[in-house]
Amino acid sequence: MKTPRVIFITGTSRGLGLGLAEHFLAQGDIVAGCSRAPATLTHERYSHCSLDVSDEPAVVAAVRAAVRQHGHIDALINNAGIATMNHALLSTAAAAQQIFATNFHGTFLFCREVAKTMVRRKSGRIVNFATVATPLRLEGESLYAASKAAVESFTQVLARELGPAGVTVNAVGPTPVPTDLVKNVPRAKMDALLARQAIQRFGTISDVINVVEFFLAPQSEFITGQVIYLGGVSG
Amino acid sequence: MTTPTKGKTETVRRLILATLPEATGDNPPIFGAGAPLDSLGLVNFLADLEYRLTEELGREIVLASDRAMSQGRSPFRDVASLTDYIVELLAE
Repeated sequence: MKTPRVIFITGTSRGLGLGLAEHFLAQGDIVAGCSRAPATLTHERYSHCSLDVSDEPAVVAAVRAAVRQHGHIDALINNAGIATMNHALLSTAAAAQQIFATNFHGTFLFCREVAKTMVRRKSGRIVNFATVATPLRLEGESLYAASKAAVESFTQVLARELGPAGVTVNAVGPTPVPTDLVKNVPRAKMDALLARQAIQRFGTISDVINVVEFFLAPQSEFITGQVIYLGGVSG
Repeated sequence: MTTPTKGKTETVRRLILATLPEATGDNPPIFGAGAPLDSLGLVNFLADLEYRLTEELGREIVLASDRAMSQGRSPFRDVASLTDYIVELLAE
């Protein structure tokens, strides 16, 4: 019987985060999750914190509570994210701040706090969330793509900083997956986006899980600083 | 009689010394010229120390704060400076 992994996933109340949490629980793992909303998942191996991922004291407390409860964290999956769809000239400063706070600052804070516990154990896996909107330079998604470009750069530099400590840091860049994140995007816009992929279909939660599991696999200990895009999109 | 502040200072100093490898003398250096830790060593040391402070004092503090990074003289240079800095953080 395999030893359960302790996995911290952000943004677990819905969409990809919820799907990831359900997947790892089904594998027998222990999942600590968080979201702004209350938990939507009940399981004996699941614990939940309601927080804003850009709230530093809340993130520090949540990570240390998880370590107190489980002794360590094997993997961090920084899934929490928000998207806006608007022409740059019609975007507000508040929208820019909010999207960077959640997508970049939230990722940074969780990486920093969880990595502190991982370097103590000289072991750990971090998976951040990028997007195909960045390499595709999608019109109307300048703020979202830019915030995720920051996540990519951070992932690649952090991988170098944590490599000597036995911690890998990678990112998965999903195509649109039919979740709440993309539900307000017009169909014509979505079709145009899919047409730019090598494989022209929506992604599924299973497609994302596959890449995350690849990064978490024991055999992937020599893989770090990588961004894998789905659907045949190139960086 | 030990005052609460003095008691806290002694506890913090004890935790720092317990976390710092190869600490010798009254005020061992931590980070900088002639100090034992390189950058990665400082990262490991601070992560360990935050954990010990949380365990022993029940306080969740972040040592690499904006204040620490903006000080003219780094609070991470030696044990006495770091002790003073942490006691200040705990008093907030």
